[in-house]
Amino acid sequence: MGEQELLCFEDIEVGANLPVLEKGPLTTAHLMRWSAAMENWHKIHYDQRFTTEHDKLPGLLINGSLKQQFVVQLLKDWVGRSGWVWKASFQFRAMNVVGERLRVWGRVAGKRPAADYGLVDVDIGILNDNGVESTPGKAVVAVPYRGKGPVPYPFVPPAGA
Amino acid sequence: MSILPEAAKAYIGLTSEKEVACDPVERGAVRRYAQAIMDEDPAYLKECEANARYGGAVAPPIFPTHMLRRPFGAPDPIQDHADDPNYDGAGFSQGLPKIEPLKALSLLNGGSELEFFRYARHGEVVTVQSRYASITEKQTSKGPIILVVIESDYCNGDGDLLVRVRRTTIRR
Repeated sequence: MGEQELLCFEDIEVGANLPVLEKGPLTTAHLMRWSAAMENWHKIHYDQRFTTEHDKLPGLLINGSLKQQFVVQLLKDWVGRSGWVWKASFQFRAMNVVGERLRVWGRVAGKRPAADYGLVDVDIGILNDNGVESTPGKAVVAVPYRGKGPVPYPFVPPAGA
Repeated sequence: MSILPEAAKAYIGLTSEKEVACDPVERGAVRRYAQAIMDEDPAYLKECEANARYGGAVAPPIFPTHMLRRPFGAPDPIQDHADDPNYDGAGFSQGLPKIEPLKALSLLNGGSELEFFRYARHGEVVTVQSRYASITEKQTSKGPIILVVIESDYCNGDGDLLVRVRRTTIRR
């Protein structure tokens, strides 16, 4: 993560796009490295024959758990050290298979003030090269008010949340 | 006609034992994980300015949810299924019993919701406790489905909540 200007609640506009995070093309080596890192040995991520002949899937699947990481990285890098990624929810609507390049995107859907920080609602998702959305979701991040210091850490959700 | 058996509803609220991850947050494991997700954030490497606010080197946000590994000496499912060509290699129970009345229905990943409160720091112990939060039926254009939501709390050794995950599985 590079250095960035402090993102403040006042600077955020509804409808604005977050900088796109690109990952891939994701090879079998990427998937094997992720399976090993998390010690998940589900064959649909590395055993081509099992995946296509036994499970009748179109190809080795890019793990949903890996796609989640990309979305959280997008949000984390956007809000920076002074902010906090509070919530992220995903639906796995379509499969992504090995060889695909993923474009992780976010768009500001709304903003609302809270006592100690501002909350920003973000629509999120992952597109492949064909423009197919596989992982639509929603997130809520907390960002500081200008001149008020960072979002308190550990994060405490707003009262009544 | 409902496809949700009454007996399945008895699982709602059922809570697992609190399980302790067999290893604490290890620097090497964090490195491999960060490299695998292609996010080599300096906050994950060692104590530095990037993680001063978090009290030292930390693991990526979702890392605690992947710490429940097979403990040393536990049964080895890969070897146990070495002669089974249908074994798919998957195995993650969240410590909860399978819902017997639903066992004949197929299972799909319906998505998840993550809620973050703090990072896990290098060296910290992580625990998880899960429960069946809800089991409901929903009508769709393709017919009725059952939504099973498992809520898991991942905490550090002091009991501080790190991450809460709600995983939805679809049974049909």
